[in-house]
Amino acid sequence: MTDHPSRPAIPSEPRQHGVPPRVRARITRYLLALLAFVLIAPLVPYAAAYLGAGNVPNPGAGLWNEVRQRAGPADANTQARGVESAVLINQVGERWRQFRSEMLVPVGAWLLLGTLGFLALFRILRGRIPLEGGRSGQLVPRFSVNQRVVHWFAAILFVFLAVTGLVLLYGRFVLIPILGPEGFSATAAACKEGHNLFGPIFPFAVLAMIVLFLRGNGFNQIDLKWFFRAGGLLKGHPASSGYYNGGQKSWFWMVVLFGIAISISGLILDFGVFGQGREVMALAHVVHGGVAVVFIAASLGHIYIGTVGMEGAFESMSHGYVDANWAREHHDLWLAEMEAAGMVGVEPNALEEVKRHDNIDFKGFGSPGTKAVQG
Amino acid sequence: MFLEFVEGPLWYFSAVVFVVGVLWRLVDIWRQPSRTDLAVPRGSGVPGALRTIVTRSWTAKGFSRGATFHLVAGYMFHIGLFVLLIFAAPHVKFIEERILGFGWTPAPHWLFMVASDLAFAGILLLWLRRLMHPVMRKISTFDDHAAAILTFVVMLTGCLALLKSHDSLRAIHMLTVCLLMVYFPFSRLMHAFTFPVSRAYTGAAMGRKGVSA
Repeated sequence: MTDHPSRPAIPSEPRQHGVPPRVRARITRYLLALLAFVLIAPLVPYAAAYLGAGNVPNPGAGLWNEVRQRAGPADANTQARGVESAVLINQVGERWRQFRSEMLVPVGAWLLLGTLGFLALFRILRGRIPLEGGRSGQLVPRFSVNQRVVHWFAAILFVFLAVTGLVLLYGRFVLIPILGPEGFSATAAACKEGHNLFGPIFPFAVLAMIVLFLRGNGFNQIDLKWFFRAGGLLKGHPASSGYYNGGQKSWFWMVVLFGIAISISGLILDFGVFGQGREVMALAHVVHGGVAVVFIAASLGHIYIGTVGMEGAFESMSHGYVDANWAREHHDLWLAEMEAAGMVGVEPNALEEVKRHDNIDFKGFGSPGTKAVQG
Repeated sequence: MFLEFVEGPLWYFSAVVFVVGVLWRLVDIWRQPSRTDLAVPRGSGVPGALRTIVTRSWTAKGFSRGATFHLVAGYMFHIGLFVLLIFAAPHVKFIEERILGFGWTPAPHWLFMVASDLAFAGILLLWLRRLMHPVMRKISTFDDHAAAILTFVVMLTGCLALLKSHDSLRAIHMLTVCLLMVYFPFSRLMHAFTFPVSRAYTGAAMGRKGVSA
């Protein structure tokens, strides 16, 4: 038999402590008061400063005001030689960061998505703009070889720069969920290099566009009527126009102005070795990003109407010829000029096209000269 | 893993195909039977050959107007590509470590930028003209387009991998390089080696006839 210790009997009364309950309660109250004091005491200066009850100077405020140069450029010296090497914290950088994250990214996204939505709505309501009279089978020469080469040269560069730029601007929101952090990192690195490398070519493309497309792109009264009729894009509102209509002229001047702005700002950003400081770089980025987003949004309309949005439009830039009925419906005044010059119903003969192309008197503009007609 | 394969076995296979293929094509040209010229030669063929190799580097009189575009864009592309191929810093390092065992001073970054922009602009303009010009379009074959696109892709992937921060980008570039090397000997890209041969053959024939051509 094993002897088990006898279990203690269940106490019939509460166990008595050495400290009386009243004293214990008092100690608890003191401890709670001390805890409250410890928690609240550090907040007093902030509250006082907030309420303006007293002036509690921050001992580091003067230092940080100097560092941030709130009162203007600091009289700082450093052994480091470089642009703004004496500046510790540049406030322009903070303003630029705010613009990028609070303005450029959200507003740009709304603009781009809004444009896509508008085009989708236009497509649903209007459908593809057809050739009302069908195809006549008669061709009219519209754009020369050089014009088409330059157009597609600029277009390829533009699309590449737009895509890589948008990846850099929106990639972390759109691509990280798809590619993951590693995949996005590689994509962003590639886009950054590609964007910086192709960027310097774009100004030359814009320059070539100006040279080859400037003539005939001046606005006139006809364009005003064209705008009032919404460019004939709405049913039952045909609008007359010459070689270029108001919309095409607007797009051309957008390409010129936006192209120049984006080129200059891009070169400032790409070649940061010419002494430009952070302020200039930040300003260049604001211009570059802002203009680029508007430029891309406008280009969506141009791309839509030039490809799937309008029957017969793409041929002008792919083969250089358009159907006479397309010209009649969208550029009637130009067609009349071409008919008078005997340029309607030409055969797309390669040798003749080259001959016309090589004839410097004919540049594919509104009023081909007599010599061109003979050529 | 993929990078090791591309820079290892695939690279060696492509290099062997490239070298053997180019030599085979050149020897094949060399062994082509030539027609015996029974006429008494009016001059030596050598000066004619050397002269033609040089003079065919620009357009002949009377053709300059129509060929200006090709001349300018062609030189932009070829000079740019040459600088990229031989003097780009990653290429110099690769040649030193993997091929020759010695290197040379690479091009500074600004020269690399200029060369790559010239090369990209040149190849784009030349290819677009091939597509847009009615005569060029008709005489172009699949090989012309494939060679242009493949060369462009190799250049593009190389430039996208310039940051040297991701193995995946380097692997993609090396893969396209290997494809180009395998395709090279059997395509129009062989003109990189055959152009002096072709010019010299024509120049020598003309030189023997006493014709300045």
